[in-house]
Amino acid sequence: MARVLVVDDAAFMRKMVSDVLLGGGHEVVGEAGDGVEAVARYQELRPEVTTLDITMPEKDGLSALREIIALDPAARVVMCSALGQESKVLESIKAGAKDFVVKPFQADRVLGAVEKALS
Amino acid sequence: MSADAGRVGLNSLGESTAEAVERALQNVAPGAGRVGAVKAGNGTEQAAEQAVQGLAVPAVCAEVSYVDGVTGGNVFLLPVEGARRLAATMMGESGADAAEGTELSELELSAVGEAMNQMMSAAALATSGVLGQEVEIAPPKLRVVTTEAEAAEMLRASAAPHVLTTSFTVADVSARLVQLVPNAFVVRMDRALDAQTTEYTSAPLGAALRAVPVRVWAELGRARMPAGTSLDLPTGSVVELDREVEDPVDLYVDGLHFASGRLRVAEDGSLQLEVETVHGLQNAGAVAELVAAPSPMAEEPALADEPALEAEPALEDEPALEDEPEVADAAIEPEEAAQAEPQSPTQNMEV
Repeated sequence: MARVLVVDDAAFMRKMVSDVLLGGGHEVVGEAGDGVEAVARYQELRPEVTTLDITMPEKDGLSALREIIALDPAARVVMCSALGQESKVLESIKAGAKDFVVKPFQADRVLGAVEKALS
Repeated sequence: MSADAGRVGLNSLGESTAEAVERALQNVAPGAGRVGAVKAGNGTEQAAEQAVQGLAVPAVCAEVSYVDGVTGGNVFLLPVEGARRLAATMMGESGADAAEGTELSELELSAVGEAMNQMMSAAALATSGVLGQEVEIAPPKLRVVTTEAEAAEMLRASAAPHVLTTSFTVADVSARLVQLVPNAFVVRMDRALDAQTTEYTSAPLGAALRAVPVRVWAELGRARMPAGTSLDLPTGSVVELDREVEDPVDLYVDGLHFASGRLRVAEDGSLQLEVETVHGLQNAGAVAELVAAPSPMAEEPALADEPALEAEPALEDEPALEDEPEVADAAIEPEEAAQAEPQSPTQNMEV
């Protein structure tokens, strides 16, 4: 079980990811709707895993990832992206993300990515 | 750019984008599909009205703009009734059981927004493919339009000169994809089409362009693998490429699959490419010398920045410009750039 921060600008996706994580025995310690909030919530909550959407207002997921990794080089972040953002995904992994999941999500894939980040 | 070329480019963009949106839509709404052909409107004013004619309102509208300095984007318009059914399907409920009414809850709107985000991302990917370069998009803006006039006004506000409209059926409700295409894209598409079809002898480079340094590289082959696998590749691992030993090697000039040929080793040990086929001109015999230390290719196959790991390149033979394989990386100096033009079958092209 891990303490997870879920970041996505779509409330529906936050709910969906949270439901999957809860179903997999994890604890959702917080949610954020944009990159700025994500960094603030990370600092505040220090989750074991963060799921981070890429396309978001205010600050996108890639910028938020870089800030989170700067704050905590050991941060375990799983990127979530829509189809067509593969280049951003690769950039994210180079920037320190542990894994990525492409939308539309399969529950197993989300849980697998969290497990991989924890390992 | 000729008007014909512009039309061909627009049609290609419209079709590939509509297909991509349809595939993404079917992921979230099984049974959804395209209805009819892509329609091109003339002039933003009139085309905007035509694009939304007969659309049931109120409708949820997702607008995704391009962020690389051009005006335009993609807009998906889905009547509230269809939006409600789509949201229900996405939340694991039956679309047919969705409650009626004109108001969507925040969660329903968010679900529809996410579906539209996925569709619009697919659309941007398709657009990137046609243009031959990545197109960045802003997060989708969601709003509900209550009249046809309001929807048309929103499209007009984009001031995009080309408007392409495709009809879809989503949960038995008629929806529209409207592509607002900037002139810059038409020019880029024209260039991409030219790259595929131009007879180079009939379109000589201008004097100024001859002096522009271009990047030239050769590609041995490609492979696809998950990004994670590529990052975990241990030293000494073997990556299988999609070519046989006897297959020709491709030569790229500034992103264009320019020629194919055979690798040779010069007396000083440097690699050379003997050009056998030049695109658009059956021309053989030119030699491109890859001035590099002996056999850098063997040590550094096109893998580290393998373009195939990313979005599928639009032009089948052209890797993304930003991720050119670092096989032979050198600029052609002005005088050599002039020589590089494949008009003389016996020129030496030194890079």
